[in-house]
Amino acid sequence: MKVKLENFKAAVKTLTEQFGMSHLSTITGIDSGENIDVHYHFWKGDVITSVKVSVPKSSRHVPSIIEIVPGAILYEMEVHDMFGVFFDGNPWMDRRLLLPDNYPQDLAPPLLKQTKPADIRKAVGVER
Amino acid sequence: MAERRETRKEAGAGLIQYSTENLVPFGPIHPALKEPEYFKLYLRGEMIVDVVPRIGYVHRGLEKAAEQRRWTQNTFMFERTCGICSFAHSLAYVQAVEGLTPYEVPRRGLYIRLIVAELERIHSHLLWVGLLGHWAGFDTLFMWVWRDREIVLDLVEAIAGNRIHKSIAAIAGVKRDIPDSMKNKIVERTKYLADRAYFYKHIVDTESTLLARTRKVGNLKAETAQKLCAVGPLVRCAGLARDVRADDPYAAYGDVPIDVVTRTEGDVHSLLHLRLDELVVSANAIDYALEHMPSGPVRLKIPPTIPAGEYASHVEAPRGELFYFVKSGGGPNPERVKVRTPTLANLPTALELLKGYTMADVPVVLTAIDPCFGCMDRLSFVDLDSQKQWTWTGEELRQFGIRYYFPERTI
Repeated sequence: MKVKLENFKAAVKTLTEQFGMSHLSTITGIDSGENIDVHYHFWKGDVITSVKVSVPKSSRHVPSIIEIVPGAILYEMEVHDMFGVFFDGNPWMDRRLLLPDNYPQDLAPPLLKQTKPADIRKAVGVER
Repeated sequence: MAERRETRKEAGAGLIQYSTENLVPFGPIHPALKEPEYFKLYLRGEMIVDVVPRIGYVHRGLEKAAEQRRWTQNTFMFERTCGICSFAHSLAYVQAVEGLTPYEVPRRGLYIRLIVAELERIHSHLLWVGLLGHWAGFDTLFMWVWRDREIVLDLVEAIAGNRIHKSIAAIAGVKRDIPDSMKNKIVERTKYLADRAYFYKHIVDTESTLLARTRKVGNLKAETAQKLCAVGPLVRCAGLARDVRADDPYAAYGDVPIDVVTRTEGDVHSLLHLRLDELVVSANAIDYALEHMPSGPVRLKIPPTIPAGEYASHVEAPRGELFYFVKSGGGPNPERVKVRTPTLANLPTALELLKGYTMADVPVVLTAIDPCFGCMDRLSFVDLDSQKQWTWTGEELRQFGIRYYFPERTI
């Protein structure tokens, strides 16, 4: 299910409150060239529903859903670490969850296609 | 709540921020552990008022690495995400890939997947019961249970050829068949293990150390588990019957009856019972599957490229829902593979559970979510009243816990 950014929070609210899909399995970020796609996978019974939003790489801001689904906090931090997407409203956007402390600020986030594995190894000091 | 925030603020904002000088532990990682996590506990006296996690010490970049490898190579790489639920990882991955292809997996292959997955669950649950005994200061249980665990590992080795990284899952099937001559041996062993599970249930209810350390420790409510998206035994011990095997059957789970065990107490003691009950359910499922296993091939040969598309798959790993998302561009490599392990899903719940308990309960409560126990190898403590900070290793914390509850005991 693809939704526009401005309708996104309302869509999640409807899904969790009216359809009872309150279990968020995870949030996936995908580098699709111009944009970054963010997929929210909800699970109930034998259905996995994915809500997709796209944000341009130039302005990576998505509203946070932690007030609707509090369990999303670590998943949002993970996507923030790996794709540099900011989730507005998540209080822990100022820190890292998975990336090492010595990962350079000026290097693009690791899971973007432009970042090569060799660059990451060099940056965090494990180049063989 | 409001008061706590206030104190944290005046306690100096510097404390909450990560500081490489004195807080990040150097080498908390043991080769045998796979998810060392780092928790900063804020204490008032003995009581925990807040917990801040920092994980990623063994983040190996598997998702990035998957994009550089072939579809088949990834089956074996993702298996190495975890040393305990290795088959669950490869299974979730191959299921996601199969979702993009038109092929139908042979039914005998699906039954073998179920049998290996359930043996793995027995292994993982036994391992957890033993570890909980160890952290609670009752090492006899640890020794007993880990002796029985050898039986499962031997069975897995006989079926898959490997004890830990089974490497039996393949895209569109499994790599090895179970010969009929092995059936009796498997049934005999699973029966023995189910008997042992009843014996351990008796121990759990009568042994004073375990009762003192686990009963009414942790108190998970169904709403909290629901709100924080907890998975697996943790959510079932709070009373919610959520299990991928029953809700969204994969492999041969649609044909094999699975009882979803639930409890309502939500404490660590009920988790012990729940996991031992699930062990019996798994043993029964294996027997049923062996008896009703259809004949035929176990695997299809398929071309190395996978059609373009996106697919999400999840399985019930021993620790809970394990989620994989795969995107293919039609080439020989995946465009994106996303992994969400159950420990990450249960982490917010564990942090919530710790609040209000004492430092001595930390090992038991953290073990309750069945993290890979590297998590406990380093913990930092901050006493909010005196601003004192110190770090303990897992062993120091374990001994503190035992002394706290049983001061007269020698360790």
